[in-house]
Amino acid sequence: MSDKIINELEELLHANVVTTETAENIREYFHQKKEESHNRLSSIFGILGAILVGLGIILVFAHNWDNLSRLTKIILSFLPLIVGQLLCGYSILKKSESTVWKETSSVFLFFAIGANISLVAQVYNIPGDLDSFIITWMLLSLPLVYLLQSSIVSLLYIVGITYYCCNSNYFTYPSTQSFLYWLLLLGIVPHYYQLVKTKALSNFTLFHNWFISISIVICLDTISHKNGYLLYLSYMSLFTIFYFIGKTSFFDKQKLKNNSFLIVGKLGILYLLLLYSFKWFWNKSFYKTDSISETLLSIEFIIACALTLIAALLFYKKNSRTNFKEVSLLELVFLMNIFPLISAYEFSIVANVIVLFIGIFEVKRGIKLNHLGLLNFGLLLITILIICRFFDTDLSFVLRGILFITIGLGFFLANYFILKKRNRNEK
Amino acid sequence: MKNKKITLLIFILVIVAQFYVPLQMMFNQEDIMKTGTEFKFQTAPIDPYDPLRGKYITLFFKEREITVQNNIKWRSSETVFATLTTDKNGFAKISSISKMKPKNSESYIKTKISLGYMNSKIIIDFPFNRYYMNEDIAQKAEKIYQEFSIKKKNETYALVAVKNGEAVLIDVRINEVSIKDLASKK
Repeated sequence: MSDKIINELEELLHANVVTTETAENIREYFHQKKEESHNRLSSIFGILGAILVGLGIILVFAHNWDNLSRLTKIILSFLPLIVGQLLCGYSILKKSESTVWKETSSVFLFFAIGANISLVAQVYNIPGDLDSFIITWMLLSLPLVYLLQSSIVSLLYIVGITYYCCNSNYFTYPSTQSFLYWLLLLGIVPHYYQLVKTKALSNFTLFHNWFISISIVICLDTISHKNGYLLYLSYMSLFTIFYFIGKTSFFDKQKLKNNSFLIVGKLGILYLLLLYSFKWFWNKSFYKTDSISETLLSIEFIIACALTLIAALLFYKKNSRTNFKEVSLLELVFLMNIFPLISAYEFSIVANVIVLFIGIFEVKRGIKLNHLGLLNFGLLLITILIICRFFDTDLSFVLRGILFITIGLGFFLANYFILKKRNRNEK
Repeated sequence: MKNKKITLLIFILVIVAQFYVPLQMMFNQEDIMKTGTEFKFQTAPIDPYDPLRGKYITLFFKEREITVQNNIKWRSSETVFATLTTDKNGFAKISSISKMKPKNSESYIKTKISLGYMNSKIIIDFPFNRYYMNEDIAQKAEKIYQEFSIKKKNETYALVAVKNGEAVLIDVRINEVSIKDLASKK
């Protein structure tokens, strides 16, 4: 694209369409752009290279070279660590301006630390306490995020602590209730804050948005102890909080793919609503403990209350600016958190109605804004709702068939009319 | 410039920490191997896989049970101290377990309860159930064990050094020969 324009500049100059100065400016602009993309490309390849080499070293050592003496094995296992440290030191001293150097060397060191610890464990047959291994690895790597401003190490750190959280809380039995994850997550907050402030639109920030929001969703479950069922309330509020974060002016003006909070929040709320729409969901009691006071003092209940309160504050903050004139139904769903306290079947009907309304609202918005994505999203939501209802109602096959045909036709017709409207507008 | 100096200083501290952790692990294990008491635990090996550290054989120990007076106070995955003795055949045996560190200089290991049965039997997890091997011979090692176990007289044991509650697995042997040597000869 840029080459084509530059080639045609000569012609435009001759025809006096642009001045020499403008032509020069255009050339300079494309030159700079090319350099930027070149830098980005070498960053990507550097990082990928470091990840592959790091993993490769781990695998080569995992072969367990029996014929080497213990001392040789130990010395070899320290080699990648020393190389990584030297590279990082060089990056700090001589290449402090180069993202490629800093990212690549710190990613390499990240893997070298892991390889080193696991190899020492191999040599001495230290059995796999995976949790303490990951924590040690992550804590030893965390400083690299700040010393070398390495966002990739920061992302790897998030993956690491999330894996630790899953391993200690979900994968092992009996699971231990561990809050260490939240403390470890705090370690990354200053870096994330800095990224959002200084490089809001960079890809690193985009990945952080996604990694952090998904990691929190995965790990919120760690707080569940006896009253696991109360966790739905916490999740509902968490998704609502995400939704409001995504709706802040900072995130709202960014592209949708950057706005992980909005997407995760919205999809999360809808998922829970669909779950609420089942009758069996309300069968179970939200309280598992023996007495009410025990429930009210349980960690799940306290966290649920705190999150609901934050969601309510954010709701007020967002809507007070517009005098509560632009409140969407989705923003009010978290108020359903009050329902489980008086758990009853009727609320499944309320949930059904809300999902249906949100679906219809999205379809309407799609038509109004001439947006095929929104339109189909609304239709999809209604379809999922209908499919869900098939599970707990005894409708005849004929009726189900007719319903599906109707919905299918709805998809066709709605898309057809929008496309037709578009064509007409273009003409 | 001053900023860079501080960064460098912190980086050096980080390097020290990055060296300290594995070195401390190493020296601790070396010390147990050199000055600890050696025990032979009768065992049966099988061959699994760890993505980071490679192939290893998991050891299933025969003497993991102990009968206690009242089992109510023992919970699964609770940390306990198991005192070790040697039986008449020269293999290790748990003589008692306690929640507190044994005060006398007997050999003991810090470990966890795997399961507690109602009939006051308790099963202990040993903290040295992995023996890392070369990926080419780990599977062979398991086969060798199976072949040997068909024969009548067969003693497979793990040689473990114990000191101050910690244990290091030194070797796995079948009839006094290291399983590594047996497997690599085959």
